[in-house]
Formats: sequence, structure tokens, C-alpha cells
Amino acid sequence: MSINRRNFFKVLGVTGVTLATGKRLTAAPEAESKTEFNAMLYDSTKCVGCQGCEFACAEAHALPAPSFEDTPIVGVERKTDETRRTVVNAFKTTKGDFYVKKQCMHCNDPACAAACLTKAMYKTEEGSVIWRGKKCMGCRYCMVSCPFDSPKFEYFSANPKIEKCDMCYDRFKEGKIPACAQDCPMEAIVFGTRRDLIKEARKRIQESPDQYYDHIYGEHEAGGTGWLYLSPVPFEEMNFKTTLQNSSYPALTKGFLYAVPSVFVLWPAILLGIHQATKDNNPKEEENE
Amino acid sequence: MNNTDYTLPRDNDGKSIWKFLVSELKPRGKWLTPFNIISIPIMLLGLVLIVIRFWKGIGSITNLTQEVPWGLWIGFDVVTGVAFAGGAYVITFMVYILNVKKYHTIVRVTVLNGFLAYVFYAGALLLDLGRPWNVINPIIGNSFGTSSVLFLVAWHFLLYMVAELIEFSPAIAEWLGAKRARKILSGMTLAAVIFGITLSTLHQSGLGALFLMAKDKIHPLWYSEFIPIMFFVSSIFAGLSMVIFEGSISNRVFSDQITEKNHKAHDSILHGLSKICAVTMFAYFFLNMLVFVHEKRWGLLNTPMGYWYLTEMIGFVFLPMCLFFYSYRKVNILSVRIAAVITMVGVIMNRLNLTVIGFKWDAAQHYYPSWMEIAVTLAVIFTEIWIFRWVITRLPVLRESPSWAKNNEN
Amino acid sequence: MDGFTYYSLFETKGIEYLIIIAFLILIIPFWLFINKPVKITSHIKKTIGILSATVLRVPGGVFYSKNHTWTHLEKSGNAKVGLDDLLMHLTGEVNLKNMKAPGTTVMKGEILAEVDQNGKTLSIVSPISGELIGTNRLLTEEPGLLNEDPYGKGWIFKIKPTQWVAETSSYHFADEASEWFKGEISRFKDFLAVSARKNSADTTPVYMQDGGELADNALASMPGEVWNDFQESFLK
Repeated sequence: MSINRRNFFKVLGVTGVTLATGKRLTAAPEAESKTEFNAMLYDSTKCVGCQGCEFACAEAHALPAPSFEDTPIVGVERKTDETRRTVVNAFKTTKGDFYVKKQCMHCNDPACAAACLTKAMYKTEEGSVIWRGKKCMGCRYCMVSCPFDSPKFEYFSANPKIEKCDMCYDRFKEGKIPACAQDCPMEAIVFGTRRDLIKEARKRIQESPDQYYDHIYGEHEAGGTGWLYLSPVPFEEMNFKTTLQNSSYPALTKGFLYAVPSVFVLWPAILLGIHQATKDNNPKEEENE
Repeated sequence: MNNTDYTLPRDNDGKSIWKFLVSELKPRGKWLTPFNIISIPIMLLGLVLIVIRFWKGIGSITNLTQEVPWGLWIGFDVVTGVAFAGGAYVITFMVYILNVKKYHTIVRVTVLNGFLAYVFYAGALLLDLGRPWNVINPIIGNSFGTSSVLFLVAWHFLLYMVAELIEFSPAIAEWLGAKRARKILSGMTLAAVIFGITLSTLHQSGLGALFLMAKDKIHPLWYSEFIPIMFFVSSIFAGLSMVIFEGSISNRVFSDQITEKNHKAHDSILHGLSKICAVTMFAYFFLNMLVFVHEKRWGLLNTPMGYWYLTEMIGFVFLPMCLFFYSYRKVNILSVRIAAVITMVGVIMNRLNLTVIGFKWDAAQHYYPSWMEIAVTLAVIFTEIWIFRWVITRLPVLRESPSWAKNNEN
Repeated sequence: MDGFTYYSLFETKGIEYLIIIAFLILIIPFWLFINKPVKITSHIKKTIGILSATVLRVPGGVFYSKNHTWTHLEKSGNAKVGLDDLLMHLTGEVNLKNMKAPGTTVMKGEILAEVDQNGKTLSIVSPISGELIGTNRLLTEEPGLLNEDPYGKGWIFKIKPTQWVAETSSYHFADEASEWFKGEISRFKDFLAVSARKNSADTTPVYMQDGGELADNALASMPGEVWNDFQESFLK
């Protein structure tokens, strides 16, 4: 009888493992065709603050366009929120006034995607980090974890969404490029693979060393991001978060999550052992509840 | 009036189980006690606020912002509440694993408290979710976000509630007079206890691990990679302090249910618990020192936040530890209770410092909870106490088990 | 992680959790099975008429005290006490007399009963302290059970022990017990030579039968004085 029971559990275990890995096994050919990450390069020296990207983004995602008075002004820091996925801010720097477009950074190893317990925040193979509403439970853990505070929550809706830039993933699936890159009149925003864009950014710095500050923001920050920035001045002058770590944020939970299985296996064994060892002291007590 | 021999119905006494349950639902005792007068209006207010929350969104009754997405409900109800429920795993560890029979009389009430705490704080969590109907997703396998610490914490909450229920179920079986069920459930106690302790270790530390990724957003005096360990260690004395606090109140309120022997034993129990708290807090204090040095926090001490940190550490960790130590040596039960209350305040401070006060401490707009958030929190706590009171007066938790249960083997 | 293609730190977490579930489920039968009470194994190699260590039954899981009583803790928390096989082989068939009544508290070293063979007696001393809760009523009808099945049906007393661990910690157990029995047989041969010569006019050395081997039931043919000496040397 006990042999049958053991076999049953064995079969159950193997079935479970197969179900879990089966998907991955059939997906193996996908891994071999290694898709490269898409990325976007934003060159602050080319941006004139026309907000064309803001209008394009709003139109592409059925969000309200920025109002007439809502323009980038030095000293006023506009932020993205549940009604706008990207904003352009103006900064007074040592080299004059410049603009910075702000949106989700599409990190290589996004904290939000690691944090999401339903896989609603998801890093696609192509590199865009998207939000899949059907799965989301609105716990806002992604918001807690994101070092850039990118995800924004509809606090005043009965069925709240998370809003953030998704690199126009739907448009990409239709063969188009992101709306902001498409509509930028100054070509300050370029869409391409991350590898190519880093090369391009390096080339620009090399060719015009006086025009650019020698650093690509997003190359290493948070372990590398999908949005890369070039700036004429040190990035602190334009309110970039420059104190972020250069390694991935999910790696911070690695120590804990990796220890979990060990605890699950060791604790029951140790507790059983202690229970057994202390039991002999009271041979009759083990009956009482 | 001694209620210790309240007769419980025997095995299907001819009476239908439904009639029995209905009769048990009828309220007993006075309606207009001071506690009822305070709690009922707040509970009703909470209900109204919850309706508004579901109609107009979370922002309508909370002060949460895009930069501070977790406030009082997560920081206090969930994180602090779960820390206080840690008494269950510590007490069951001592009684069932270490075989320290002295604490056997408080196992049931502690497990009951733990169970209710998790049920209500998981319930409170549902209020904080934007789309609570989707909470089923990480459970039924629609999408397992296994890389998420929250996934682990959520699952552990569920499994732990099951383990606690199994641990508590013999009391339910005794109440219903189900002898065979009681025997079977008692046999599962050890497994449930071991499972419960393992789960508790992981989710108490897990609640701390939730904040590991928010490295740049939490004040460096409270953030470190050792948060999970600190949370786990502090949950031990937080739980035991709650056991001391709640036990002292219950013993007075429900004193007619407790036998003479158990009343006397209670002081001895508190005395023993005070030693455990003293030792654990001693270790915790030194752990904090180690982390302080490791993280090189010296420069931060001479700031407002630094003073607040020192207040928490010295006034609400070191001081109560000394008080527990003193109480143990001098066998002073009153000061055990005082130390427990101070410790609990210290744990609340610690949890809130990490999750709310120290979170985005430098934001332009400081977060503070709205009165509505506080009202809902109080309503949840009062509801939990009501259920607790209902269970205590009807089930053999504080009073002795029926004789048929005591004589049985296991 | 090269930063250009997809890679997940936590890829294997799903399978790991499944393995954990399997572990938690499997540990229950594993633990229960490993703790099953050890079955009494017997080595029986009968060499006719000759008593040697290999003929003795030495079951595992049982504690042997130096006064040739054995004790075994049952799952119920009560311990059974009886006489070991060596003693039974040495004495042959005996009757139990003056057994202490159930309900009395006994200390380790207190006399529990006497065995008697035609007026020759030996006192049986308790290996453990506790409350005497029962005696084996089968023995009054079938005293032969003491020799046939000294560890099974031939148990004599049931005691509820009060200091089991402390008192049994010095007793013989398992393989070590077998070694001890060998030693006792050899010690008995020497004892018998001295005691028989002392107490018998007949100077025929008993131990020289069968080329140096010991005959079974060697004490049965010995006078009461040898029994008293035996009590002093082996049953104290």
C-alpha cells in the first residue's frame, strides 16, 4: 500500500515538473533565435521642448493631450502621472537651457517585473516592459520597487490602471516604431537595438566631445536600461538620479529568494530532530495534545 | 460564577448541527458595554468608508500618492500586525518542538489570535488592492510571479492560515462534539506546527525583504540588506509581547472561564516569557549595532532622523530589554506587562519607520495617513476583537477541554 | 547578463517550489517509516544440548541490565520487564513466586519477585523505577513461557517508568549486548568451577563436559548453595 502511495506522489511530482517546464521546453527554439533588446536613444542637445512626443504619446494611447499652458518651464518639474506617460522638462544648466524627456526607463532587469507577483509587469523578449492589465491586482508593489518611480496608479478609479511608457509595444507588433520617435521633428529620439544605440551614442560623444558630457545615462544605471540619454552637461544638473546603483535592483532580493528553498528543506528536518530529541525526556507526555 | 464546566454537546446528540450553530450565533451578554459603545460606531463608519473606497477608488479615502504607494494599511495593518502575530509560531515551537509543557495552557489562545490576525490582515490587504478580484491570479496559476518576494509572502500567508486552522481545529472539534475528527486533527498538529514555523520564518523575514529593492527610497538608517533577519528576530519578541499584553487583558475579561490552577500558572508563564524577550532583544540590539557599523551610518546620527533612530533603539529596544531583564530577576509581573507595552510601541515604530516614515522621507510631500485610513484600520481591529470574543466565549480555548477529549490518547 | 538579450535571475524558482512541495509531502512517510518500532529479531542456532553465545537469543531494541533482566519501552509509555534468555538457559524451568502486586511503586534495585526450582530460589531485582501496573497472567498457567519466549509472551512485569532515560543509559543494548553475553557465559564457566568445587563433595568438574563446553540448564543440577552464590555474583 505504501509503495503505491509513494509511486503516486512520484508521478504527481514528475507531472508537475513537466507541466512547469513543458512550456519552457517547447519555447527552447525561441531562446536560440535570441531577440535583441529594443532601446531608445534620447539626445538632449537636439531637443527643443516642442512636446511633439507628448502629443504623439497621448494620441497613441488614448490619453489627454497636454493643455496649452502646460509647457516645460525652467524651475517647474513636471512629472508623469496616470494621465501622461511622458513629460518634457526644462533645466537651466551651466551651458544654457536644455530639455529632458522623462518616461519609464525599460530596465534590462526591471525591478517592477521582478516585483510583480502576477507577472502583469512583464519584460518582453524584445525589451519593452509592458503592463498587462488582465493580470494586475493593483497591489502597487511595482511602484514601491521602481527606482525611477515610473509606474503611476489611477487612485481615483474603481478599476484602476497602471500607466507608464510601454515603448509602444502594440505599434511595434504592427511593424511601426514608437510614436514619440516617429513624431520628433528634431530626431532627438532614435529607436533601435540597444547594442546599436550604445554604439551610436559613443560615436556621437567621440565625434563631438565638446557638445556632450562623456557618459551615456542608462548604459549601466540599474544594471542597464532601455532608454539611453546623452546630455551636454553632467546629469545631476538636469535632475537625473545619479546615485543609483550600477547593478540590477532585483539582484538585491536574490540573497533572500535564493535562501528560501534551503529554509524550506532544512527547517522541517531540524525541527523534527529537536522534537525527537526532547521527546524522550517525557515518554508519556507525547500523548497529550 | 464558574463557567469551567459549560457542557458541550456530545456526538450528534440527536440535535442537528445547523440548529446548534444558529443557537451559537445568538449574542450573549450585555449590548451596551464600554467596548461595544466605542467599537460599534467605528465599525459602521469603517463599513461606509469601505463602500466609498470601492466606488471611488483608493485615493478617495487615503492620502497615498504616486511616490508613496503604500501607507498605513500596508505599513501598520499588514506589516506590523503580522509581526505581532508572531507569538503563535514561537509558542508552538516551545510547546511542540522543545516540549516545554509550561506554556501549554496558552497555546490555543495564541494560535487563535495568530489565525485571526492573519485572516484580518490579509482581509485588510484586500482593501488596499486596486483590483482585489484579480487576487485569484497568483493563486490559481494564471500567472506565478515567482521572482517576486510578494508572491512568496502572499502564498505563505495563505498556507499559514491553513496551518493555523489545523492547529486550532481540535478546539473546534471539541466544541462540535466531533470525537473522531478531533483525534485525526490532533494527529496532524505536529506537522502543522513544523510547517507553520517554517512558513513564519520565511514570511516574517519576507515582509522585510519586500523593501529590499527600494534601496534608494528608504532612509539609510533603516535600510540594509539585513532587513529580513531583523524582521524575523524582532517578530519573536513582538509576538511574545502581544501574547503578554493580550493575555493579561483576556485573563481579566474572561476570568470566569479560567480555572484556579491556570490563573496561577499565568503569572509563571509571563515570567518565563519575559526572559525569552530579554534575551531575544539583547541579541536584536547587538544585531542592530552590527548592521549600523557595517552600513557605516555614523554620519547620519547627528540629524533629526538620527535622533529618531536613537529614540527607537535606546528608548524602545534597549530600555524594555532592561525592563524585561529586571522583571525576570525580581519576578515583577506588573513590570513585565509595562515592558511588553513599550516593546510593542517600539515594534510599531520600527515597522512604520521602514515602511512609511522612512520611505521617501525626503519627498516634497510627506505622507501621513488620513483620518479615514485610521478609521478603517480601527474598524478592522475591532471586528477582529469581536470575532475573538465570540470564539472565546463559546469554544474551549481558555477553559478546559471537555473530559472526553482529555482522556483520549492524543 | 550581457544587457542585450533576455535573461532572468529567477528562472528556476518555479521548479524549485515544486521540488519543495514534493519534499514536504515525502518527508511525512519518510519520518513515520524511519520511526517504526524496531522488530524483534532472533538469532536461533540450536546446537543440541550445548549452551554457547550463538544459541542465545539477543533481540535488538531491548535494554539488558547487569542482573540479567531485560526491559523494553513500549509505544504506550509503559515498560515491560522480564528475564533474559541466558538466565533461563542456565536455570531451566522455574516458577515465579512472591511477585510484587500491581499498584506498588518500585525503585531500581528493589526485589520484584523470586524464581524457584524445587526450593532453590533466586531474587529478581527491578531494572527500573516506576509504578508496577501489571503482571503477565499467562505465566501462572504456562510457566514454560519464561524459557520458550522470554522476550515476547514470557514478559513478567509491566512498569510505568519514572526515570527511563537516566536509568537505562548504562544498560547493554544491541550488538554490545551480544558481546556482553559472551563475556557472561565465560564468566559463568569460571564461576561454576569455583562454586561447584566449593559446594559439592563430588569433585567431578562440571564444566569439563563435552570438551570444555557448557551443558544447557547447568544450574539445574547444582545445589542450593551454588544458587545462592550465583545470586551474589550475577543477580546483584
